[in-house]
Amino acid sequence: MSDAAHAHDDHGHHAHPTGIMRWLSTTNHKDIGTLYLFFALIMLFVAGTMALLIRAELFQPGLQLMHPDFFNQLTTMHGLIMIFGVIMPAFSGFANWQVPLMLGAPDMAFPRMNNWAFWVLPVAAFFLMASFWLPGGAVAGGWTMYPPLFIQGGISYDLTILAVHIMGLSSIMGSINIVTTILNMRAPGLTLMKMPLFCWTWLITAYLLIATMPVLAGAVTMLLTDRNFGTHFFNAAGGGDPVMFQHIFWFFAHPEVYILILPAFGIVSQVIPTFARKPLFGYASMVYATASIAILSFVVWAHHMFTTGMPVAGQLFFMFSTMLIAVPTGVKVFNWVATMWKGSMTFETPMLFAIAFVCLFTIGGFSGLVLAIAPVDIQLQDTYYVVAHFHYVLVSGALFSIFAGIYYWLPKWTGHMYNETLGKWHFWLSAIGMNIVFFPMHFLGLAGMPRRIPDYALQFTEFNQIATVGAFIFGFSQLIFLVIVLKTIKGGAKAPARVWEGAEGLEWTVPSPAPYHTFEIAPVVK
Amino acid sequence: MAGNRNSKYRTAAILAVIALGLFLYTLYAGLK
Repeated sequence: MSDAAHAHDDHGHHAHPTGIMRWLSTTNHKDIGTLYLFFALIMLFVAGTMALLIRAELFQPGLQLMHPDFFNQLTTMHGLIMIFGVIMPAFSGFANWQVPLMLGAPDMAFPRMNNWAFWVLPVAAFFLMASFWLPGGAVAGGWTMYPPLFIQGGISYDLTILAVHIMGLSSIMGSINIVTTILNMRAPGLTLMKMPLFCWTWLITAYLLIATMPVLAGAVTMLLTDRNFGTHFFNAAGGGDPVMFQHIFWFFAHPEVYILILPAFGIVSQVIPTFARKPLFGYASMVYATASIAILSFVVWAHHMFTTGMPVAGQLFFMFSTMLIAVPTGVKVFNWVATMWKGSMTFETPMLFAIAFVCLFTIGGFSGLVLAIAPVDIQLQDTYYVVAHFHYVLVSGALFSIFAGIYYWLPKWTGHMYNETLGKWHFWLSAIGMNIVFFPMHFLGLAGMPRRIPDYALQFTEFNQIATVGAFIFGFSQLIFLVIVLKTIKGGAKAPARVWEGAEGLEWTVPSPAPYHTFEIAPVVK
Repeated sequence: MAGNRNSKYRTAAILAVIALGLFLYTLYAGLK
C-alpha cells in the first residue's frame, strides 16, 4: 500500500513524563488506546463477576445467596457496565490505536480532547460503582432506566444519571475526534473508498454516537429534573408520560446496539481476509451495507415497545423496518463467507474468534428476526428469549470480535507474539462455555421464564443449572485471556513488522512494537 | 480532503453544534 513507513523512536529534544504522569497527561493515541483497553479489561472482570453472582443465584429456584433487591442491582449494573464500561471503551481503544496507524496519520486530530475523553471515564465508573455503598444500594431499575422506578429511587439514581452524562460526553468527544481524524488526516492517496473497513465502520459508528448520545443526555436530564426539580416529564401523576421516556430512550438505544456491533464488523472484516489470504469480498457493498444498517437503526426503535400498545400500522411499520435490517446484515455475512471461500485459510486464534463471530452472531441475528415479529414479540417480551438473543449478539458478537482484534493486533502493539496454545484454549473454552450459558436461555424464554427475577418456577430448574455451569466455564476461561495478555506484554517471541503473512495495510509497515511516534511524515498510498 | 489539516476545526465545530442541537431539541420535544 505504501512506499515506506516513516517511523522512529522517541525524540531526543523533549522528555516524556514518566510514571503516573505519563498516563494522566498523555496525548499519544497509542497510550490512550492502551488506557481504554485496560479500563475495559478491568470493567470486564467487574461486570463479569456480577454476571457470575447472578448465575449463582439462579442455579436453583428459591432465594439462595442474596436479597432480591441486590439481585436487581446486579442485573442493572451488569448491563450498564458491560455496555458503557466494557464494549464501548474497548472499541474506543481499538480506534485510538488503529485509526491513525491505518490512515497514516501521526495522531488523532485533537490529542488533548482525546486525553479528556478517556480520563472522565474512570470518574463515571467511580460514580456507578460507589452507589453500591450508598443508602439503598446501586440502581436496580434495569439498564433501560425506565420511569417510574427511576424517578422513585435513592441517591444512587442521581449518581447514575451523572455517570451516564459523563460517559455520553466522553463518547461525543471521542466520536468528534474520530470523524475529524478520518475526514481530515488520511495519508495522501488514501481515498475514503481505499480505507480499511475498520475505519469505515468506526466513521459510521462515530456519526451514530454524535446523533444519539445527546438524545440520551436529554432523556436523563428530564429524569433528573423529574426527580429533583418538580417537573413531570415522565410522571403520570403530574400529567407526564412514562411511555415518552421509552420512545426517547429507544431512539438512542437501538442505534446504540449498532454502535456496539459495527466496529465488531470492522474488526472481523480485517481479520478474515488476513487469514483467508484473499482481499475482502465486496468491499464497496460492505461500506454501503454498514451505512444502510446505520440509517435503518433510526427507524426501528419502537420494536422494543410493542407491548406498550400502538396502532397496527405502527406495529407493521416497525416490524418490517426491523426485518429490513437483515438485508444489509445478510450482505455482510455473505461477504465474510465469500472471502473465506477457496481461501488459503489458517486457523490462528484471531481467525477462530472471527469465524465463531460469523456463526454465532448470525444466530443472534436470527433470534432478533424472530423478536421483530410483533405478535411473537408480545409473547416473548421480557422473557429469557430476549436475554439469549442479545447475549448472542453482544457476547459472541461484540466481545468475540474484541478478542479477535486483541489477538490480531497485540503483537503489533507489544512487539511480542502471544502464546498460540493458550489462545486456542481460551477460544474453545469461551466458545463452548458461551453456548452452554446462552443457548438454553432460548428454551427458558419460550417456556415463559421472565427476565430480571431472582427466583423462578420449578420447571425452569434444569436449563438454569446448565446455564450456570456454562457461565462459570465461560467466566473462568477469561482468566486465561488475562494471563495471555499479561505474558505477551512482558515478553515472548519477537513479532515482525508484518505479523501475519496475509495482512495488508499501513499499520503493518511500521515496526513491532509500533514506535511511540509514527507517520510524522505522511506515507503516500498508491 | 485528505491532508487538509486546517479544516479539522471546522469539522469538529459542525459536529459539536449538531450534538448540542440534538440535546436541546430532545429537551424541547419533552416540553411540548
